[in-house]
Amino acid sequence: MFRDKIDLTGAVVFIAVMAILPVVFKNDYLIGVLTVAAIYAIWAVSWDLMSGLTGRENFGHALFIGAGAYTAGFLNTVWGFSGWWSIPAAMIVASLFAVLMGFPTLRLKGPYFALAMLSASVIMQRLMLIFWEYTGGEEGINGVEPLIDSQLSFYYFTLATLVIVTAGLLAVARSNWGLILRAIRGDEATCQAAGLDITFYKIASLVISGAIAGAGGAIYAHYQLQVSPALFEVVTSITVITMVYVGGMASIYGPVGGAILLVLLTELLRDFGEWRLMIYSVVLILILFFLPRGFIAPVWQRFKGSLGRSSS
Amino acid sequence: MIEILIQGAVSSAIYAMLAVGFTLIFGVARIINLAHGSFYALGAYGAYFLTSQGMPLVPAALLSILAVAAFGVVMERIFVRPMRTQSLLAVLMITLAVALAVEQGLFLTFGSEYRNVPALVSTKFTIAGVDVAGQRLLTLVAGVVLIGALWLFIQRTRMGSAILAISQDPVAAQYMGIPSDRIFALVMALSAGLAAAAGILAGPFLTVQPTMWLLPIIKAFAIVVVGGLGSIPGSILAALMLGYAETIVAYLISTSWTEIISVLATLLMLVFRPAGIFGKRAAF
Repeated sequence: MFRDKIDLTGAVVFIAVMAILPVVFKNDYLIGVLTVAAIYAIWAVSWDLMSGLTGRENFGHALFIGAGAYTAGFLNTVWGFSGWWSIPAAMIVASLFAVLMGFPTLRLKGPYFALAMLSASVIMQRLMLIFWEYTGGEEGINGVEPLIDSQLSFYYFTLATLVIVTAGLLAVARSNWGLILRAIRGDEATCQAAGLDITFYKIASLVISGAIAGAGGAIYAHYQLQVSPALFEVVTSITVITMVYVGGMASIYGPVGGAILLVLLTELLRDFGEWRLMIYSVVLILILFFLPRGFIAPVWQRFKGSLGRSSS
Repeated sequence: MIEILIQGAVSSAIYAMLAVGFTLIFGVARIINLAHGSFYALGAYGAYFLTSQGMPLVPAALLSILAVAAFGVVMERIFVRPMRTQSLLAVLMITLAVALAVEQGLFLTFGSEYRNVPALVSTKFTIAGVDVAGQRLLTLVAGVVLIGALWLFIQRTRMGSAILAISQDPVAAQYMGIPSDRIFALVMALSAGLAAAAGILAGPFLTVQPTMWLLPIIKAFAIVVVGGLGSIPGSILAALMLGYAETIVAYLISTSWTEIISVLATLLMLVFRPAGIFGKRAAF
């Protein structure tokens, strides 16, 4: 699964640092920040599988995130299911949304998929506000139970989920399947001529991507202990996309770094709270212009290259 | 019944003003401009800001339209043109980022409260026993006049022929010596101005706040999908359909369900006829 020992070492060091940080600092605030970072990282890698590899950008990842979170909220508070049902249920609901959106739009070339996803997430947010009798409107659903009482254990649960998801998606991306997705990005017509059912591959990847994002949404709901319509906002999707762009598209591990970097950066810039989204949009514009290949993944590749040279 | 007829016509006029510009840019430059809704928001905020500084409404409105048109040209030059050579998705991404930056700029300058754009006409008219606010009638009339003028401009002038030529075949048009970049800037200015005008006209009876760009762009996208990407008659027809469909649903069922129509229409159209009513074929 790992191409070489350097990648493996890097992954182990990364996981170790993420696991040890809260033990060293013993700070609830830091644990909270890291938990949020890990959840954003789950969303970012799931975006990258579909959109990074195939190049069909999804402007409404918030649809899956919100769907997962609301599924968790409804199951846990309204219908009284145990919190552990949330994640599988959220994955199923988000997959259904992925099929519903993917089937009409991914058959087509052009901007339809990107824009239909954007529209659907915005309309879902509006519906959450309009049908406030059921969804709690602006307030959302409150009183979601924590999955695990100890904050530190919940952080480790989230981190473990992130590691499993990232490892799984890396395996997919480096398998035959991932190769096909990359080929679709390169030239759809050629793939079709080679006898590949590209629509199937695209929709299936969207379903995987959506299911994982939905699971992330459910985890987020159990972390925040409430669900709000703000999850469906365009801002959520843009935040995730910015993280992927910072990390480096189609690298899978890059977006994890991008997510953690941006969440930590946001915390450092807490005093400029109002400016947060402005900073995100400016970062996105700058990255698009000056670092279209991203930041984290290319830096890692260069680092690896320099190691290789010095050791040989 | 009369009420549905008039309200539907008014919302159709607003939608048409937005969608025609959106589809025109697509037709000429083959780009989807997600910052199109920002033009609408900036128009409304421009009129609000200038009138709050004591400027009379008519010059404030005209100045605001000009400023937004200029913003459209500058945005195209700085952000869109370098990306056009890369890919359609790069353009989508950069215009979305610009739209968000504009939203945040408005939020940081004016805050998130609702702002009031003064109405040009404040009298009420009674048509066949139904009271209609003058501003709504003005919006309807202005929408028809502006789109009619644009149509004449495209069909009857040399510049208009150049626009048509580029949208039919960009490469051939360039070989004929049509300066495509300049025409593109012109189209950007026209569509930005039209969207700003829609924002100023609709401002008095809609909410003016930083996130107001979002729903219009989604409606415009739905209209353009139904009408066919790049087709102006198609988008006018689809604007009428969406405007009336929303009004009828609002009157007969409930306003709650109006928002979902545009997304439903988009998805159904993409399943059954992706090229749209008047589109030649799926354009990509």
